[in-house]
Amino acid sequence: MAGRRVALKAIDWMAFAERVPLDQRVMFNTLKTTSDAISSRLTSLPEKPPAIDWAYYKKTIALPGLVDEFEKKFSALKIPVPVDSETAKVDAQEKATEKDAMAYVEASKARVVEYEKELARFRNMIPFELMSYDDLHEAFPETKLDKEKYPYWPHKPIADL
Amino acid sequence: MLSRLALRAAPAALRNLSPCLSAGAVHAARSFHGSQPCAAPYPPLPEKAGAVRFGVIPEEFFQFLYPKTGVTGPYMLGTGLILYLLSKEIYVINHETITAVATLSLLIYGVKRYGPSVAAFAEKLNEEKLATVATVKNDSIKALETAIEEEKREQWRIEGRSYLFDAKRNNIAMLLEINYRERLLMVYNEVKKRLDYQIAMQRLKRRKEQDHMISWVESRVVQSITPQQHKESIAKCILDLKALSKAAQATV
Repeated sequence: MAGRRVALKAIDWMAFAERVPLDQRVMFNTLKTTSDAISSRLTSLPEKPPAIDWAYYKKTIALPGLVDEFEKKFSALKIPVPVDSETAKVDAQEKATEKDAMAYVEASKARVVEYEKELARFRNMIPFELMSYDDLHEAFPETKLDKEKYPYWPHKPIADL
Repeated sequence: MLSRLALRAAPAALRNLSPCLSAGAVHAARSFHGSQPCAAPYPPLPEKAGAVRFGVIPEEFFQFLYPKTGVTGPYMLGTGLILYLLSKEIYVINHETITAVATLSLLIYGVKRYGPSVAAFAEKLNEEKLATVATVKNDSIKALETAIEEEKREQWRIEGRSYLFDAKRNNIAMLLEINYRERLLMVYNEVKKRLDYQIAMQRLKRRKEQDHMISWVESRVVQSITPQQHKESIAKCILDLKALSKAAQATV
Protein backbone atom coordinates (compact mmCIF):
# COMPACT_ATOMS: atom_id res chain seq x y z
CA MET A 1 0.00 0.00 0.00
CA ALA A 2 2.80 2.44 -0.61
CA GLY A 3 3.05 5.26 -3.12
CA ARG A 4 2.52 8.67 -1.58
CA ARG A 5 2.94 11.54 -3.96
CA VAL A 6 3.95 14.59 -1.97
CA ALA A 7 4.15 16.77 -5.04
CA LEU A 8 2.33 19.66 -3.42
CA LYS A 9 3.92 23.09 -3.97
CA ALA A 10 3.56 25.57 -1.15
CA ILE A 11 1.45 28.47 -2.39
CA ASP A 12 1.76 31.89 -0.85
CA TRP A 13 -1.91 32.84 -0.82
CA MET A 14 -1.14 36.34 0.47
CA ALA A 15 1.13 37.17 -2.45
CA PHE A 16 -1.37 35.55 -4.79
CA ALA A 17 -4.19 37.63 -3.38
CA GLU A 18 -2.22 40.84 -3.86
CA ARG A 19 -1.89 40.21 -7.55
CA VAL A 20 -5.53 39.55 -8.24
CA PRO A 21 -7.27 42.49 -9.95
CA LEU A 22 -10.55 43.70 -8.51
CA ASP A 23 -12.82 42.28 -11.16
CA GLN A 24 -11.47 38.78 -10.63
CA ARG A 25 -11.71 38.79 -6.89
CA VAL A 26 -14.82 36.62 -6.81
CA MET A 27 -13.18 33.90 -8.87
CA PHE A 28 -10.13 34.05 -6.65
CA ASN A 29 -12.29 33.67 -3.55
CA THR A 30 -14.05 30.61 -4.95
CA LEU A 31 -10.71 29.10 -5.88
CA LYS A 32 -9.36 29.71 -2.41
CA THR A 33 -12.40 28.23 -0.68
CA THR A 34 -12.31 25.12 -2.84
CA SER A 35 -8.60 24.73 -2.27
CA ASP A 36 -9.05 25.13 1.47
CA ALA A 37 -11.89 22.61 1.50
CA ILE A 38 -9.80 20.10 -0.43
CA SER A 39 -6.76 20.54 1.79
CA SER A 40 -8.84 20.19 4.94
CA ARG A 41 -10.33 16.97 3.57
CA LEU A 42 -6.84 15.76 2.84
CA THR A 43 -5.60 16.47 6.33
CA SER A 44 -8.66 14.85 7.88
CA LEU A 45 -7.97 11.58 6.09
CA PRO A 46 -5.20 9.46 7.63
CA GLU A 47 -2.30 8.69 5.37
CA LYS A 48 -2.44 4.97 6.07
CA PRO A 49 -5.41 3.12 7.47
CA PRO A 50 -4.67 1.46 10.83
CA ALA A 51 -3.26 -2.05 10.63
CA ILE A 52 -5.68 -4.91 11.18
CA ASP A 53 -4.82 -6.98 14.25
CA TRP A 54 -4.74 -10.45 12.62
CA ALA A 55 -3.53 -12.26 15.74
CA TYR A 56 -6.58 -11.14 17.73
CA TYR A 57 -8.93 -12.20 14.98
CA LYS A 58 -7.16 -15.49 14.55
CA LYS A 59 -7.68 -16.10 18.26
CA THR A 60 -11.33 -15.11 18.52
CA ILE A 61 -12.86 -16.31 15.27
CA ALA A 62 -13.67 -20.02 15.43
CA LEU A 63 -13.81 -20.68 11.71
CA PRO A 64 -10.35 -21.98 10.91
CA GLY A 65 -9.61 -20.88 7.41
CA LEU A 66 -11.49 -17.60 7.33
CA VAL A 67 -8.92 -15.33 8.94
CA ASP A 68 -5.99 -16.78 7.02
CA GLU A 69 -7.84 -16.44 3.77
CA PHE A 70 -8.75 -12.81 4.55
CA GLU A 71 -5.20 -12.01 5.54
CA LYS A 72 -3.77 -13.51 2.39
CA LYS A 73 -6.21 -11.71 0.12
CA PHE A 74 -5.79 -8.44 2.02
CA SER A 75 -2.01 -8.33 1.66
CA ALA A 76 -2.25 -9.38 -1.95
CA LEU A 77 -4.65 -6.55 -2.73
CA LYS A 78 -3.18 -3.66 -4.66
CA ILE A 79 -5.25 -0.54 -4.83
CA PRO A 80 -4.63 1.25 -8.11
CA VAL A 81 -3.25 4.74 -7.85
CA PRO A 82 -5.70 7.14 -9.51
CA VAL A 83 -4.56 8.20 -12.95
CA ASP A 84 -3.74 11.88 -13.41
CA SER A 85 -5.37 13.12 -16.59
CA GLU A 86 -5.96 16.79 -15.72
CA THR A 87 -2.45 18.06 -15.06
CA ALA A 88 -1.64 17.91 -18.75
CA LYS A 89 -4.63 20.13 -19.48
CA VAL A 90 -3.51 22.61 -16.84
CA ASP A 91 -0.03 22.67 -18.36
CA ALA A 92 -1.51 23.34 -21.79
CA GLN A 93 -3.61 26.16 -20.30
CA GLU A 94 -0.51 27.60 -18.71
CA LYS A 95 1.37 27.59 -22.01
CA ALA A 96 -1.49 29.34 -23.79
CA THR A 97 -1.77 32.04 -21.14
CA GLU A 98 2.00 32.45 -21.21
CA LYS A 99 1.77 33.50 -24.83
CA ASP A 100 -1.09 35.92 -24.13
CA ALA A 101 0.69 37.28 -21.09
CA MET A 102 3.84 37.97 -23.07
CA ALA A 103 1.85 39.73 -25.78
CA TYR A 104 0.04 41.84 -23.17
CA VAL A 105 3.31 42.75 -21.48
CA GLU A 106 4.76 43.82 -24.81
CA ALA A 107 1.74 45.98 -25.57
CA SER A 108 1.86 47.38 -22.05
CA LYS A 109 5.53 48.30 -22.44
CA ALA A 110 4.78 50.04 -25.75
CA ARG A 111 2.02 51.98 -24.03
CA VAL A 112 4.41 52.95 -21.25
CA VAL A 113 6.87 54.26 -23.84
CA GLU A 114 4.10 56.35 -25.40
CA TYR A 115 3.11 57.75 -22.04
CA GLU A 116 6.71 58.51 -21.19
CA LYS A 117 7.06 60.43 -24.44
CA GLU A 118 3.94 62.47 -23.72
CA LEU A 119 5.14 63.10 -20.19
CA ALA A 120 8.51 64.31 -21.46
CA ARG A 121 6.71 66.62 -23.88
CA PHE A 122 4.67 68.09 -21.05
CA ARG A 123 7.61 68.42 -18.72
CA ASN A 124 9.83 70.10 -21.30
CA MET A 125 7.23 72.62 -22.39
CA ILE A 126 8.12 76.29 -22.01
CA PRO A 127 6.24 77.92 -19.14
CA PHE A 128 2.95 79.51 -20.14
CA GLU A 129 4.11 82.97 -19.10
CA LEU A 130 6.72 82.93 -21.84
CA MET A 131 4.50 81.44 -24.54
CA SER A 132 3.08 83.29 -27.49
CA TYR A 133 -0.12 82.15 -29.12
CA ASP A 134 1.92 80.43 -31.82
CA ASP A 135 3.80 78.52 -29.17
CA LEU A 136 0.51 77.59 -27.54
CA HIS A 137 -0.84 76.20 -30.81
CA GLU A 138 2.35 74.24 -31.22
CA ALA A 139 2.19 72.76 -27.74
CA PHE A 140 -1.56 72.08 -27.76
CA PRO A 141 -2.64 71.57 -31.36
CA GLU A 142 -6.28 71.47 -30.35
CA THR A 143 -6.24 75.18 -29.52
CA LYS A 144 -5.43 76.15 -33.09
CA LEU A 145 -8.32 77.93 -34.75
CA ASP A 146 -9.28 76.52 -38.13
CA LYS A 147 -9.32 79.64 -40.31
CA GLU A 148 -10.13 77.71 -43.48
CA LYS A 149 -13.20 75.94 -42.20
CA TYR A 150 -14.52 78.92 -40.29
CA PRO A 151 -13.19 81.99 -42.06
CA TYR A 152 -15.14 84.47 -39.93
CA TRP A 153 -14.50 85.29 -36.30
CA PRO A 154 -14.67 83.50 -33.86
CA HIS A 155 -13.33 80.78 -36.16
CA LYS A 156 -15.19 78.04 -34.36
CA PRO A 157 -18.83 77.05 -34.13
CA ILE A 158 -20.76 79.35 -31.81
CA ALA A 159 -21.77 76.39 -29.67
CA ASP A 160 -18.12 75.81 -28.75
CA LEU A 161 -17.60 79.26 -27.21
CA MET B 1 2.99 89.44 -19.26
CA LEU B 2 0.64 87.99 -21.79
CA SER B 3 -1.39 91.24 -21.79
CA ARG B 4 1.55 93.14 -23.13
CA LEU B 5 2.24 90.20 -25.38
CA ALA B 6 -1.26 90.47 -26.86
CA LEU B 7 -0.69 94.19 -27.41
CA ARG B 8 2.56 93.41 -29.10
CA ALA B 9 0.97 90.66 -31.18
CA ALA B 10 0.18 93.06 -33.99
CA PRO B 11 3.73 94.42 -34.32
CA ALA B 12 5.07 90.91 -33.85
CA ALA B 13 2.87 89.66 -36.68
CA LEU B 14 4.05 92.59 -38.77
CA ARG B 15 7.57 91.69 -37.85
CA ASN B 16 6.95 88.16 -39.02
CA LEU B 17 5.60 89.40 -42.32
CA SER B 18 8.13 92.17 -43.05
CA PRO B 19 11.62 91.47 -41.95
CA CYS B 20 12.41 95.15 -41.43
CA LEU B 21 11.78 96.71 -38.04
CA SER B 22 8.42 98.33 -37.37
CA ALA B 23 8.14 101.73 -35.77
CA GLY B 24 7.22 102.01 -32.11
CA ALA B 25 8.36 98.56 -31.08
CA VAL B 26 11.96 99.28 -30.18
CA HIS B 27 13.35 97.64 -27.07
CA ALA B 28 16.97 97.63 -26.13
CA ALA B 29 16.90 93.92 -25.30
CA ARG B 30 15.40 92.73 -28.60
CA SER B 31 17.59 92.43 -31.62
CA PHE B 32 16.61 93.89 -34.97
CA HIS B 33 15.81 91.22 -37.46
CA GLY B 34 17.85 91.04 -40.61
CA SER B 35 16.66 89.83 -43.99
CA GLN B 36 15.39 86.39 -43.00
CA PRO B 37 12.52 85.94 -40.54
CA CYS B 38 13.93 84.51 -37.37
CA ALA B 39 12.55 81.08 -36.49
CA ALA B 40 14.11 80.95 -33.02
CA PRO B 41 11.81 81.60 -30.10
CA TYR B 42 11.70 85.20 -28.96
CA PRO B 43 13.39 86.11 -25.72
CA PRO B 44 10.85 87.02 -23.06
CA LEU B 45 9.73 90.62 -22.84
CA PRO B 46 11.38 92.66 -20.12
CA GLU B 47 9.31 93.32 -17.01
CA LYS B 48 9.76 97.09 -17.00
CA ALA B 49 9.87 99.52 -19.91
CA GLY B 50 12.84 101.83 -20.39
CA ALA B 51 13.16 104.47 -17.70
CA VAL B 52 11.68 107.87 -18.66
CA ARG B 53 11.40 111.25 -17.06
CA PHE B 54 8.26 113.34 -17.41
CA GLY B 55 6.72 110.30 -19.08
CA VAL B 56 8.21 111.00 -22.50
CA ILE B 57 11.91 111.83 -22.25
CA PRO B 58 14.10 108.74 -21.97
CA GLU B 59 16.69 108.53 -19.25
CA GLU B 60 19.42 107.90 -21.82
CA PHE B 61 19.15 111.56 -22.90
CA PHE B 62 19.94 112.77 -19.41
CA GLN B 63 22.84 110.32 -19.19
CA PHE B 64 24.04 111.50 -22.56
CA LEU B 65 24.20 115.15 -21.42
CA TYR B 66 25.51 114.43 -17.93
CA PRO B 67 29.24 114.42 -18.72
CA LYS B 68 29.13 117.85 -20.32
CA THR B 69 26.43 119.67 -18.40
CA GLY B 70 25.94 117.76 -15.15
CA VAL B 71 22.58 117.03 -13.56
CA THR B 72 20.84 120.30 -14.37
CA GLY B 73 21.90 120.43 -18.00
CA PRO B 74 18.88 118.83 -19.66
CA TYR B 75 16.49 120.80 -17.43
CA MET B 76 18.16 124.03 -18.44
CA LEU B 77 18.00 123.00 -22.07
CA GLY B 78 14.31 122.18 -21.72
CA THR B 79 13.42 125.41 -19.94
CA GLY B 80 15.38 127.44 -22.48
CA LEU B 81 13.70 125.73 -25.39
CA ILE B 82 10.20 126.29 -23.94
CA LEU B 83 10.90 129.96 -23.22
CA TYR B 84 12.31 130.39 -26.72
CA LEU B 85 9.25 128.84 -28.30
CA LEU B 86 6.86 130.96 -26.22
CA SER B 87 8.65 134.26 -26.55
CA LYS B 88 9.30 133.99 -30.23
CA GLU B 89 5.68 132.91 -30.69
CA ILE B 90 6.84 129.83 -32.54
CA TYR B 91 4.33 128.07 -30.30
CA VAL B 92 1.21 130.30 -30.14
CA ILE B 93 -0.98 130.15 -27.03
CA ASN B 94 -4.60 129.94 -28.14
CA HIS B 95 -7.78 128.01 -27.28
CA GLU B 96 -6.07 124.77 -28.33
CA THR B 97 -3.57 125.27 -25.51
CA ILE B 98 -6.39 125.42 -22.93
CA THR B 99 -7.93 122.27 -24.41
CA ALA B 100 -4.59 120.50 -24.36
CA VAL B 101 -3.94 121.51 -20.75
CA ALA B 102 -7.37 120.34 -19.60
CA THR B 103 -7.29 117.10 -21.58
CA LEU B 104 -3.76 116.22 -20.58
CA SER B 105 -4.32 116.94 -16.91
CA LEU B 106 -7.48 114.84 -16.92
CA LEU B 107 -5.79 111.99 -18.71
CA ILE B 108 -2.74 112.03 -16.48
CA TYR B 109 -4.91 112.17 -13.37
CA GLY B 110 -7.03 109.28 -14.61
CA VAL B 111 -4.05 107.09 -15.46
CA LYS B 112 -2.23 107.84 -12.25
CA ARG B 113 -5.29 107.21 -10.09
CA TYR B 114 -6.91 104.22 -11.79
CA GLY B 115 -4.00 102.77 -13.70
CA PRO B 116 -2.88 100.22 -11.12
CA SER B 117 -6.36 98.86 -10.43
CA VAL B 118 -7.09 98.43 -14.13
CA ALA B 119 -3.75 96.74 -14.56
CA ALA B 120 -4.54 94.41 -11.67
CA PHE B 121 -7.89 93.55 -13.20
CA ALA B 122 -6.34 92.74 -16.55
CA GLU B 123 -3.68 90.78 -14.75
CA LYS B 124 -6.36 88.76 -12.96
CA LEU B 125 -8.06 87.89 -16.26
CA ASN B 126 -4.79 86.67 -17.61
CA GLU B 127 -4.04 84.78 -14.44
CA GLU B 128 -7.32 82.93 -14.80
CA LYS B 129 -6.49 81.95 -18.35
CA LEU B 130 -3.07 80.80 -17.30
CA ALA B 131 -4.52 78.90 -14.38
CA THR B 132 -6.97 76.98 -16.57
CA VAL B 133 -4.24 76.02 -18.98
CA ALA B 134 -1.94 75.12 -16.12
CA THR B 135 -4.61 72.86 -14.58
CA VAL B 136 -5.05 71.19 -17.95
CA LYS B 137 -1.34 70.59 -18.14
CA ASN B 138 -1.04 69.36 -14.55
CA ASP B 139 -4.02 67.07 -14.89
CA SER B 140 -2.58 65.62 -18.07
CA ILE B 141 0.74 65.04 -16.35
CA LYS B 142 -0.97 63.39 -13.38
CA ALA B 143 -3.13 61.25 -15.62
CA LEU B 144 -0.10 60.10 -17.58
CA GLU B 145 1.81 59.30 -14.42
CA THR B 146 -1.08 57.29 -13.00
CA ALA B 147 -1.43 55.53 -16.35
CA ILE B 148 2.24 54.57 -16.24
CA GLU B 149 1.79 53.38 -12.66
CA GLU B 150 -1.20 51.30 -13.67
CA GLU B 151 0.67 49.72 -16.55
CA LYS B 152 3.61 48.83 -14.31
CA ARG B 153 1.17 47.40 -11.78
CA GLU B 154 -0.51 45.29 -14.42
CA GLN B 155 2.86 43.97 -15.53
CA TRP B 156 3.66 43.07 -11.93
CA ARG B 157 0.28 41.36 -11.65
CA ILE B 158 0.98 39.29 -14.71
CA GLU B 159 4.16 38.00 -13.09
CA GLY B 160 1.98 36.19 -10.58
CA ARG B 161 0.21 34.11 -13.20
CA SER B 162 2.08 30.99 -12.18
CA TYR B 163 0.29 31.06 -8.82
CA LEU B 164 -3.01 30.21 -10.43
CA PHE B 165 -1.68 27.19 -12.25
CA ASP B 166 0.27 25.99 -9.24
CA ALA B 167 -2.93 26.20 -7.22
CA LYS B 168 -4.81 24.22 -9.86
CA ARG B 169 -2.14 21.54 -10.03
CA ASN B 170 -2.06 21.37 -6.26
CA ASN B 171 -5.79 20.90 -6.16
CA ILE B 172 -5.64 18.12 -8.71
CA ALA B 173 -2.85 16.35 -6.82
CA MET B 174 -4.73 16.73 -3.56
CA LEU B 175 -7.92 15.32 -5.05
CA LEU B 176 -6.06 12.31 -6.42
CA GLU B 177 -4.41 11.74 -3.06
CA ILE B 178 -7.75 12.02 -1.30
CA ASN B 179 -9.24 9.52 -3.71
CA TYR B 180 -6.44 7.07 -3.11
CA ARG B 181 -6.64 7.39 0.65
CA GLU B 182 -10.38 7.00 0.61
CA ARG B 183 -10.02 3.80 -1.34
CA LEU B 184 -7.51 2.41 1.15
CA LEU B 185 -9.75 3.38 4.00
CA MET B 186 -12.75 1.79 2.34
CA VAL B 187 -10.92 -1.50 1.85
CA TYR B 188 -9.80 -1.53 5.46
CA ASN B 189 -13.29 -0.72 6.70
CA GLU B 190 -14.91 -3.42 4.63
CA VAL B 191 -12.48 -6.10 5.73
CA LYS B 192 -12.79 -5.08 9.34
CA LYS B 193 -16.58 -5.09 9.07
CA ARG B 194 -16.57 -8.60 7.79
CA LEU B 195 -14.22 -9.88 10.49
CA ASP B 196 -16.19 -8.09 13.18
CA TYR B 197 -19.36 -9.58 11.76
CA GLN B 198 -17.91 -13.03 12.16
CA ILE B 199 -16.99 -12.31 15.76
CA ALA B 200 -20.40 -10.82 16.49
CA MET B 201 -22.10 -13.83 14.94
CA GLN B 202 -20.05 -16.15 17.10
CA ARG B 203 -20.86 -14.27 20.26
CA LEU B 204 -24.52 -14.11 19.45
CA LYS B 205 -24.60 -17.83 18.84
CA ARG B 206 -22.90 -18.53 22.17
CA ARG B 207 -25.28 -16.29 24.03
CA LYS B 208 -28.30 -17.82 22.39
CA GLU B 209 -27.04 -21.27 23.31
CA GLN B 210 -26.45 -20.19 26.90
CA ASP B 211 -29.86 -18.59 27.26
CA HIS B 212 -31.55 -21.59 25.76
CA MET B 213 -29.74 -23.96 28.06
CA ILE B 214 -30.55 -21.88 31.14
CA SER B 215 -34.22 -21.67 30.30
CA TRP B 216 -34.32 -25.41 29.53
CA VAL B 217 -32.70 -26.23 32.85
CA GLU B 218 -35.12 -23.93 34.69
CA SER B 219 -38.13 -25.45 33.03
CA ARG B 220 -36.97 -28.96 33.88
CA VAL B 221 -36.37 -27.97 37.48
CA VAL B 222 -39.79 -26.40 37.75
CA GLN B 223 -41.31 -29.50 36.22
CA SER B 224 -39.55 -31.73 38.69
CA ILE B 225 -41.08 -30.00 41.68
CA THR B 226 -44.00 -32.37 42.81
CA PRO B 227 -47.19 -30.99 44.34
CA GLN B 228 -46.25 -32.59 47.73
CA GLN B 229 -42.92 -30.77 47.81
CA HIS B 230 -44.76 -27.60 46.78
CA LYS B 231 -47.10 -27.74 49.81
CA GLU B 232 -44.26 -28.55 52.23
CA SER B 233 -42.14 -25.65 50.96
CA ILE B 234 -45.06 -23.20 51.25
CA ALA B 235 -45.78 -24.30 54.88
CA LYS B 236 -42.11 -23.88 55.74
CA CYS B 237 -42.08 -20.46 54.20
CA ILE B 238 -45.10 -19.39 56.30
CA LEU B 239 -43.43 -20.61 59.53
CA ASP B 240 -40.26 -18.78 58.65
CA LEU B 241 -42.21 -15.60 57.93
CA LYS B 242 -44.03 -15.84 61.30
CA ALA B 243 -40.74 -16.23 63.12
CA LEU B 244 -39.26 -13.35 61.25
CA SER B 245 -42.30 -11.14 61.94
CA LYS B 246 -42.06 -11.94 65.67
CA ALA B 247 -38.40 -11.09 65.67
CA ALA B 248 -39.13 -7.89 63.77
CA GLN B 249 -41.90 -6.81 66.18
CA ALA B 250 -39.67 -7.41 69.13
CA THR B 251 -36.90 -5.19 67.76
CA VAL B 252 -39.33 -2.40 66.75
